[in-house]
Amino acid sequence: MNPVDIRVTPHEPWYKYGVAFLLFEMALAIAVSFYSLYMTFNGLGGFPGKH
Amino acid sequence: MRGYKVEQLAIATVGFFWCFLMWFSTAAFSPSIAATYHLTIKDLGLLASSAIWMAPVGRIVAGWAADRFGAPRTFAAILAGCGLVSIASAFTTSYEWLFAERIVVAIAGVSFVVGIQHVAQWFDSHEMGTAEGLYAGTGNVGAGVGALLLPRIFGTDYQSAFLWLGVIALLVAAWYLVRGSAARTTERRDAARRSGDLRGMVFVWTRYIAIALMLAYAMSFGLEIALNAWLPGYFARGFHDEIAALGFSGVAGLQIAAGTFAAVESFNASLFRPFAGFMSDLFQRRGWTPLPFIAKELPYAPRLHWLGIALILITVSMIGLAVAGLYGSLPLSVATLVALGIFISFGTGGTFALVPLLFPDRPGIAAGFVGGISTFGGIVFPLVFAGGANLHVGYLYVALYMFVPFILFYFWAARYERRPQEHGFLSRSLAGQQA
Repeated sequence: MNPVDIRVTPHEPWYKYGVAFLLFEMALAIAVSFYSLYMTFNGLGGFPGKH
Repeated sequence: MRGYKVEQLAIATVGFFWCFLMWFSTAAFSPSIAATYHLTIKDLGLLASSAIWMAPVGRIVAGWAADRFGAPRTFAAILAGCGLVSIASAFTTSYEWLFAERIVVAIAGVSFVVGIQHVAQWFDSHEMGTAEGLYAGTGNVGAGVGALLLPRIFGTDYQSAFLWLGVIALLVAAWYLVRGSAARTTERRDAARRSGDLRGMVFVWTRYIAIALMLAYAMSFGLEIALNAWLPGYFARGFHDEIAALGFSGVAGLQIAAGTFAAVESFNASLFRPFAGFMSDLFQRRGWTPLPFIAKELPYAPRLHWLGIALILITVSMIGLAVAGLYGSLPLSVATLVALGIFISFGTGGTFALVPLLFPDRPGIAAGFVGGISTFGGIVFPLVFAGGANLHVGYLYVALYMFVPFILFYFWAARYERRPQEHGFLSRSLAGQQA
């Protein structure tokens, strides 16, 4: 493994796309959680597909 | 060596995602299989538990094979083998044969450690957390996507599902072989190949920090798979009246509500994992080392602190889950569970941001040990959950009598300011390494 000081190593171009994708995944998790729990606590259904 | 690292990450992620789809497709169609073969509750329980049987030993072997033969060949072999058996299981008319075939298909789950090794061989230390998190988190969600989409696409026709999943697995295997490349440099590939022997395995298994990371992964991923199996029954029995009051009647209604709570925990544990890896990178970049006792001067010390924080949050949430259950508050229990799912992801992402950095010449063997043995948590934790005076207090027992000692051991193993991976139950020479 390269013994560089990682605190000053600039990120390569892919990194910002990777961060954008992981933010999308978090947003998806939050949206699905809110939707599923809203449906369940209002007696309207549950996690999509869990029927 | 040929290839671009983002392409290698994409190949590994798609391969792992497909393996997870195959692994949990049995569970997604268990109602249809149960109806076809008139299975009892015990039969269903056995089918569900069989999905984990091959994981502990399988992951150890797969991790070693990844170091020895390279990730592309190992991953392609897993995809092709499981794919062929999945195709065969589509034509089976006997339950005994189907059960055996689905256990073989469940071996697809061992591919996790192969992909970890593959990503470790391509990415640098400062981006390891994000890279490994994207691989594992995105791949993990294959189980949830399978539960979501497979019954909607195929209905009760599980034979067609198993057939298509197997055929596409063969295509992914071919893609892995053609475009996959074991490491960014021949030096890295050769180092892993040289170190991928029995002595290397003994060395890793006897290191304190490897054992501590294995226990950390048992507390996170082991807990996740334990909760996947436990939570539906827990909510159905522990909050029966509260769920009925929401308007869910009958067994089917109870299952929908209970299944939703379990799915939300699992979904968050998967989809927050890349963020957890990113946080490990962020801790590393900013040099944050807030916890006492754990090393502060090591090159990767901040990552040790991030993982320590995750383990503490997991333990506190487990205590909170017990308290919420004892109070009989369904909303509080679910809110705590959502938080627990997120903290579990901090643990899983934090662990594998560290494993490749601590054992850079044996990433597969290390991943196999940490990722394999920890799956016993999926078997042991539900037994402890069920062993309490009531359904809710089991979480407290696990937190106080298992997780607290695990955390104390982690703090103890991570205190060394110089080369923690050198300290273990055997000296280097006794572990078969040059002094």
